[in-house]
Amino acid sequence: MGLLAREIEALGVTTVGLALVKEVAVAAHAPRFLYLHWPFGHALGEPGNVAQQRTVLHDMLSMAVSAPRPELVIELPYRWRREKYAPVVDWKYPSEALVSALSSQNTAQLATEPTHETTPGGATVPDEARDRHFG
Amino acid sequence: MRFKEFYASRVRNSALLFGVVPVGTAFGRWISKLIALPQLRKLTGGEVPWTPLRKPLAESTVALVSTGGVHLRKDRPFNLNGDPTFRIIPKNSLASDMAISHQAYDRTDALKDINLVFPIERLRELEAEHVIGRLADDHYGFGLMGSAKALMPAIKEVARRISESGVDLVLLVPA
Repeated sequence: MGLLAREIEALGVTTVGLALVKEVAVAAHAPRFLYLHWPFGHALGEPGNVAQQRTVLHDMLSMAVSAPRPELVIELPYRWRREKYAPVVDWKYPSEALVSALSSQNTAQLATEPTHETTPGGATVPDEARDRHFG
Repeated sequence: MRFKEFYASRVRNSALLFGVVPVGTAFGRWISKLIALPQLRKLTGGEVPWTPLRKPLAESTVALVSTGGVHLRKDRPFNLNGDPTFRIIPKNSLASDMAISHQAYDRTDALKDINLVFPIERLRELEAEHVIGRLADDHYGFGLMGSAKALMPAIKEVARRISESGVDLVLLVPA
C-alpha cells in the first residue's frame, strides 16, 4: 500500500494511508501514514461504530492538510475496543489527536537534533496548515 | 464433535494461512513483515514523492483505495492466493453490491460493515456535509498479492487513472 501511495503522490495527488503494521508502514517510505494498533480487517474500527469511523477519517483528512514533511508514520492514540468516540464537533479544524501527535513528533525531533537552534514559542506546522487549508 | 464445530466456525470466520491454517492478527503482522520488508527495501529507494494538498478540503475531490479485497459482486473475484489486478468500485455502489475476496484476514466484521475496509458510506456522508468537495466517480480495490513487483503494473495504472481524473486526495485503507 505504501507503493501505491508513492506512485499516486508522484503523479501529483496527495495521499494518506492507514497502517496496521507499523514496521511495514515505516519501511514503505511513503508520504503520509497513520498507524493504529488494531486487528486486521478493522482499519476504520468496529462494525456499526459510525463515530469511531468518522474519527479516523477526520484524522486522515487532518493528516492530508497538516503533515509537515514526507515519511511521517503518526501513531493514533486509540486503544482497541477501550475508547468512547464522541461525534466530530468541527470538521473545519484538524483533529486534536493529530495535532497533538504532530507536535510531540516535533518535540521528539528537536530533542534528537541538538545542533538545531530552536525558536522559543515558534508556531508549529499544524497551526500554519490550519490557516491555510481548513475553513 | 465439539472440536469439529469449533474448528469449522474458526475456519469460516477467520483468516487462513495457505488456505488452511487459521491465523490471528499477531501472527498476521509477523507474516506481513516477513513478506513485505525485504521487497520494500528494494522498491522504495530515492526521494519520497511529496504533493501537498493544493486546495481546501471542502473543494477537494477525494478517492478511496482499499487493499482489503473489496470488489463489486458482479465483477470477477480476486484470486485468493495472489492477484495482480485491481477492480473499480463506482462512488454510488451499495454495500450490498460489494463482496470481499481475501482470506488473509478475518472478514467477519467487514462483511457486516464494509466501511471497516472501504469507508465509502462515510465519505458519501462527508460529501453531503460539504466536509470534502466531491467524492470521485471511481474508487479502487486490490486483493492479496505477495509479490510487489508483479503488482507494480496495476499500481501504476491506478495511479495514472487517479491523476488523470482530477482527484486531489487519495485515502488508502489496508486489509
